[in-house]
Amino acid sequence: MAEEKKTNESNSPAADLKSERDRFVKTFTRGARLTDEFIQDYERLLDKLAVLEAENANLRAQVAADRAVRELVQKIELLEAEKSDLLSRTNRAEAISHQFTTRVQEVESEFSNLANLYVASNQLHSSLSPRGVTRRIKEVLAQLLGAERYSMYLANQQGTELVPIASEGVPGGDLLPVPIAGTRLGAVLASGQAAVEEDGDPSHGQLDRPAAVIPLLVDERVVGVIAIFSTLSQKTRFDAVDFELFRLLGQQAAAALVSASLFAQADRRLPGLEAFLDLSV
Amino acid sequence: MSEYSCLIVEDSPMMRQLLVFALARVKNLRVTEADDGVDGLRKLASSRYDIIVTDINMPIMDGLKLVKRVRSDPVHKDTPIVIITTEGSQEDRQRALQLGANAYITKPIQAPQVIATVKELLRIE
Repeated sequence: MAEEKKTNESNSPAADLKSERDRFVKTFTRGARLTDEFIQDYERLLDKLAVLEAENANLRAQVAADRAVRELVQKIELLEAEKSDLLSRTNRAEAISHQFTTRVQEVESEFSNLANLYVASNQLHSSLSPRGVTRRIKEVLAQLLGAERYSMYLANQQGTELVPIASEGVPGGDLLPVPIAGTRLGAVLASGQAAVEEDGDPSHGQLDRPAAVIPLLVDERVVGVIAIFSTLSQKTRFDAVDFELFRLLGQQAAAALVSASLFAQADRRLPGLEAFLDLSV
Repeated sequence: MSEYSCLIVEDSPMMRQLLVFALARVKNLRVTEADDGVDGLRKLASSRYDIIVTDINMPIMDGLKLVKRVRSDPVHKDTPIVIITTEGSQEDRQRALQLGANAYITKPIQAPQVIATVKELLRIE
């Protein structure tokens, strides 16, 4: 039997080869199919990968965009904070600048007032003639105080009347001695206190109701008054510096006038040195 | 920095002194004083000024005549002129401005107003 089989096998090599070939072909075909399937799978996977990569790229872009937005928002918040800080600093600087400007204006105004007082005082004492002093008193009244109608009075020796010694803008007929008793001018002489119409418009003052009456002092004694009946139309109120000028006139005008009169009486001769020798204190 | 020159024409020594004090507050402004219109013209003939500040009521030659003369002078015809006066009415102001004054200040003067007016006309900051 074994021999017969051997004989059969050896007798049909072609059949073996055919069978071998068929098996190979079958195997090869299966391999080829598998390869095709692999290739198709591979291509699908490649497509999927491409899709995923595209999705990934989109997601990355979105994340990046979100980050950029977050950064922008942070930047905006920072800028807003900076803007608010700058605004607050600007407001502070403006407030300081405003305060500074106001202070400068105040200083300029104070300087102007001091200049007025200095010039008035300087002018009152820059003449040693009674006429010169009177002219300067009138200048202070007209130019610095804006007085339009005014008169200067000195009390007579009996102390009964105020006698006009200089005036401006007052008709001659109205320039009469004024009794001290029972008059507004007399009351100022008696009290030594200036009487100023602070509420009304001084340009509307009247001869019987002066806008201001200033007492004139010599050595702390009231010797006369200056009556400002009315001021120039543009001078509608008395300011702080005007009250300082009233005080200055009250303290210095009559003293300058008395000095000038005494100097004139002495024929403009200066006192001898002996008059000053025992002044040591 | 430019230096400016100002001529003050005023017969009252007190007002001159006050104006000199006020204008001393303007930097780089040199001030010259004249005591009436004639003296003012004399000084204008010998020097050039950037601004003139003048009173109206003055002896010999008043401020308005001075303004007329200055406006006919080829050297100073364009020089700014500030009028200072006791007259506060609108007509007086118009008259002074028509004659060629550039600004009008009424007495009693306030130094800050004089300074501001001069600075404005000289275009000083």
